[in-house]
Amino acid sequence: MLEIDGIAASYGNIQALRGVTLSVEEGGITCLLGPNGAGKTTLMMTIAGILKPRRGTISFLDRNITGMRPSGVVRRGIALVPENRLVFPHMNVHENLIAGAYLRLGKSKAQVRQDVDHVFARFPRLQERTKQLAGTLSGGEQQMLAVARALMARPRLLMMDEPSLGLAPLVVEEIFRIIRDLHADGTTIFLVEQNAHMALQVAHHFYLLEQGQVSFSGKPGQLSEHEVIQRAYLGKQQGRDQSATDRDQPDGTMLRSG
Amino acid sequence: MVDFVQNCLDGIMLGSSYALLAIGFTLIFGVMRRLNLSYGPSIMVGAFVGTLVYLEFKANALAIAAATVVGAVIVGIYVERLCFRAIRRGAAVASMVSSFVIWMQLEEIVTVVFPDRTYPFPPLVSAAPVELGPFFFKVENLVMFACAAAMTVWLHWLLQYTRFGLALRAVSENPRAALFMGINVGAVMFLAFVIASAFGGVAAYLIVSADGQITPLFGLWATFKGLIAMMLGGMGSIPGAILGGLLLGVVEAQSIWYLGTEYRDLSAYFLLFLFLVFRPGGLMGQLAVEREQAAMRRV
Amino acid sequence: MDDIYLVTVVSNIGMISFIALSAYLLLVVGEISFGQQAFFAVSAYGSGIATAMWGWPIWLGLLWGALLAGAAALVVAIPTVRLRGLYFSVATLAFAEMVRLIFEIFTYQVEIDGELVGPDGSDGFRDIRAIYDSNVSAFEYMLIIYGLLAVVLIGFLILERSRLGAIFRMIGEDPMLTEMQGLNVTVYKILAVVMAGVVAGIGGALYAHLATYVEPKIFNVMLGVHALAYGLIGGLGTAFGPLIGVAIDIGLLESIRAISGYRMIVFGGLVALLLIVRPRGLLDEAAVHWLRGRWRELRRATH
Repeated sequence: MLEIDGIAASYGNIQALRGVTLSVEEGGITCLLGPNGAGKTTLMMTIAGILKPRRGTISFLDRNITGMRPSGVVRRGIALVPENRLVFPHMNVHENLIAGAYLRLGKSKAQVRQDVDHVFARFPRLQERTKQLAGTLSGGEQQMLAVARALMARPRLLMMDEPSLGLAPLVVEEIFRIIRDLHADGTTIFLVEQNAHMALQVAHHFYLLEQGQVSFSGKPGQLSEHEVIQRAYLGKQQGRDQSATDRDQPDGTMLRSG
Repeated sequence: MVDFVQNCLDGIMLGSSYALLAIGFTLIFGVMRRLNLSYGPSIMVGAFVGTLVYLEFKANALAIAAATVVGAVIVGIYVERLCFRAIRRGAAVASMVSSFVIWMQLEEIVTVVFPDRTYPFPPLVSAAPVELGPFFFKVENLVMFACAAAMTVWLHWLLQYTRFGLALRAVSENPRAALFMGINVGAVMFLAFVIASAFGGVAAYLIVSADGQITPLFGLWATFKGLIAMMLGGMGSIPGAILGGLLLGVVEAQSIWYLGTEYRDLSAYFLLFLFLVFRPGGLMGQLAVEREQAAMRRV
Repeated sequence: MDDIYLVTVVSNIGMISFIALSAYLLLVVGEISFGQQAFFAVSAYGSGIATAMWGWPIWLGLLWGALLAGAAALVVAIPTVRLRGLYFSVATLAFAEMVRLIFEIFTYQVEIDGELVGPDGSDGFRDIRAIYDSNVSAFEYMLIIYGLLAVVLIGFLILERSRLGAIFRMIGEDPMLTEMQGLNVTVYKILAVVMAGVVAGIGGALYAHLATYVEPKIFNVMLGVHALAYGLIGGLGTAFGPLIGVAIDIGLLESIRAISGYRMIVFGGLVALLLIVRPRGLLDEAAVHWLRGRWRELRRATH
């Protein structure tokens, strides 16, 4: 469904992709595991059209989408649940969902309304909080909202960037239950995770990304979980300094050049 | 007591023009997270375009107003392209300094083209003040207030009930996330700039026509009145901009009456300083600031 | 005639450099101040009062002015330094405008030799004649200005290599991270504001004595924003950056008289274009790093 071939791209000075090749099968759950700074988020941003790759091609449903604008990518049917959720904090839950369907708003309001009902049926917790500002939701609820918002785009492929980040173990369980449910309903999922233990339980196929390159591709069980965790958490060179990597600059930063 | 109330009424009238300036400021700040110091000077250029149309063609009020708005919008687009779009994201200081040097540039262009110190600007209406019980209202102030109110209502509708408004709010909350929704962030920012410039143009027309004259110093005046009103209300908040503008107007009117003209700006800046120290988020934006401070304390 | 003109221009470059350096120091700690002209003004008035009205010697007047500016900076720093980003910038602006407007109404005059001397509200403060009374020529005074500028600049260069300088840069990059290192960001920022105030103050005191006349409107926000712009034009990588900014603006453009009436039209456009290519100025951190490397190579080659 999604074919990535030899992508090289960089984000800031640290997270570089050096020729990544992988593919996402329709109807499955594909996972991308790797240590901080391996370039997982860079890959997500490149697919989403935020970053332009230096080399390589990305095709989706047999059509080349390399270097396409983000709106074009969303229109083709790829939606992203971004790292750190990035809900719109001062907009209420309902408005966040509508924003997710932004590209369809001009065409069919009725359809969007229907989709809101569908999403609420799937996430009753959100329905209870329709008028609540997204910034006041708990971390788990914000993650649900981010997923729901992405679903509002009616994606054929749902990409999720570290949905378990910063959540309590019980909430992580719930998020992964949602992932399984979505898959059971026919959504194709491309999941980027650090939580290898959870990811390997849902994945049909997984890739290991280390230092900007795919270092392993296979099915869960082909590599011992211990080894995956070793590599996904620490990379090949154990104990190297990771503090400076993978930190997302907040967009609200004011008046500081960097 | 009558004096005090009359001052408040005068202040609200005066403040409605500050509110319009502050709305433009806050719109730009809201979506860009950067300060456009050139905001006042661009609408000042717009007002000079209006003067030009008046002096050259003896045009009517509507044509002058239109020329002012169009001029302000065109200069606004120039500033957006040069100082904001062209400078990479993250370099907010560079954008601000760039908008400052363009301010200097605009001011000098105007003084080269219009070498006299002041130019006449035709009044929109010339009628005797309206009397209402013990209170007086200047007609041009009433017009200003009505225009400010109408434009605020329109902006509220635009932001809350249209697709573009949703996009604009999404961009101002989180441009990255807005991109993921398929929103064309660059286009939204551009349009926000255009709307802000148009608001500024209307404000400039109303203020300058009430004054009856225009000088290049209007740019500085407009930038700082708009900035103060925005900060008093809370950055990025439209209701805040309106309240901030009205508060500024009332405080100025009261200090002119009770302390004297020389205390007008001093009390405005004093109020601003107190607000920044004790309530930096202004009237409306306190929550966001408190959250940020709490986050700082946690580390 | 031209010599005196040249001396005046060069002296102006020197004095404005102090306020540019002062704004630059705050940029290093990640704060933008629109209000450094306040400290310039406080010192100009303070030192003028000391020499013209109290009869203090010049050097003591300069010292007094600079200390007064530092004290004013401390007063403004304590309540505002915890503000971040634009809030701090606008607070400094409000403070500076308050200072200016207070000088607009501040009157304090004494009779000396049958004449009233001292600040007189918006009419300004005339006859700060100390350097003329003690027969210091314009050229000698220029040397004094540059001597003091050299001292301050050496201070900046030492600072940049010191632990304190490193902490300042770290705060500028990421205050939270600095706080996590166990450093008290608030205290360091207050220190930076006070140091910047003193530096601006030296410039203000020098200015008052060269001009012999100060009035409040000189110290409007334009002066402060110019000071800020100089740092960003010259570059944020080194203390030489702001000096280059000042020299380009006043020196280069003042000397090309053909465009004198259109100076800001040309200069404004050029700076706007420069900031597109180099958002942190000509000598930004990367450029300075590169130059240092070259310099080291050169020295190794010659030794």
